[in-house]
Amino acid sequence: MTPQAERQMELTLPMVPDIEIAAARAAGNLGREIGMSAEDVDEMAHAVVEACINAREHSYCVDQRIYLRFRGSSPDVQTLKVEVWITDNGQGFNLEEARLRRRGLSNTGPKKRGWGLQIMEAHMDEVEISTSENGTTVRMVKYGERKKL
Amino acid sequence: MSDELRLAVDRRGDGAVLYTKGYINNVGGEEIANRSYELLDAGVTTLLLNLKETKIVNSIGISILIEIIEKMMEKGGKLGFCCLTPVIQKTFQIMGLAQYASIYADEESAVKDLGLQKS
Repeated sequence: MTPQAERQMELTLPMVPDIEIAAARAAGNLGREIGMSAEDVDEMAHAVVEACINAREHSYCVDQRIYLRFRGSSPDVQTLKVEVWITDNGQGFNLEEARLRRRGLSNTGPKKRGWGLQIMEAHMDEVEISTSENGTTVRMVKYGERKKL
Repeated sequence: MSDELRLAVDRRGDGAVLYTKGYINNVGGEEIANRSYELLDAGVTTLLLNLKETKIVNSIGISILIEIIEKMMEKGGKLGFCCLTPVIQKTFQIMGLAQYASIYADEESAVKDLGLQKS
């Protein structure tokens, strides 16, 4: 892949059990296609799984769809980059409450659950969440290093 | 989907090795829990989960594994994991599972350390 070249893909998936695997495979295929390492691809797949589960379990959306967009690029000769947007048209959520729960400072959720955001942040290089009463979009970025020939 | 979890059990005296293949999600986690609790009721005190054929997990599945660890600890038993991918091992560490259960690189070292009978 030459620097600046981009590959993009969009998917709309139904909110059915295990659909997150289809999303993870799509992200993995794009990562492999642009030359990311197996471990980077694997980390991205786990993050995508968690984002899709959150959308499926907590969005309460009417259309029961997850909208995914993937963009793979090589910003320079050494760097590989995959951006993922995972969107639902649900009711949104209180981001601050979710962050408090992650830190174990809230009593509103069981501690064994609610790890999704932390897993996403640990496996990806950037995670941004925008949420409102019209839905939620999680944007995640994974950088990789181009393999030396 | 095709990643549905499959589970095989190798009973070894008062211990057992559970081999997983496929996705550990809520359904897969429950399957592991049910088999683990059956073994516990049958007198097994040491369990080893070999995840060599599992390449993806989710946080719900891991939360169920944590419940199994808690139950094993309540009963005075031990639970270990082996053959994790680096990303699964990292996920276990994020969720704190690594604090309560031993993680081994391979089955041989796990069997030795946990005192399980060899197959």
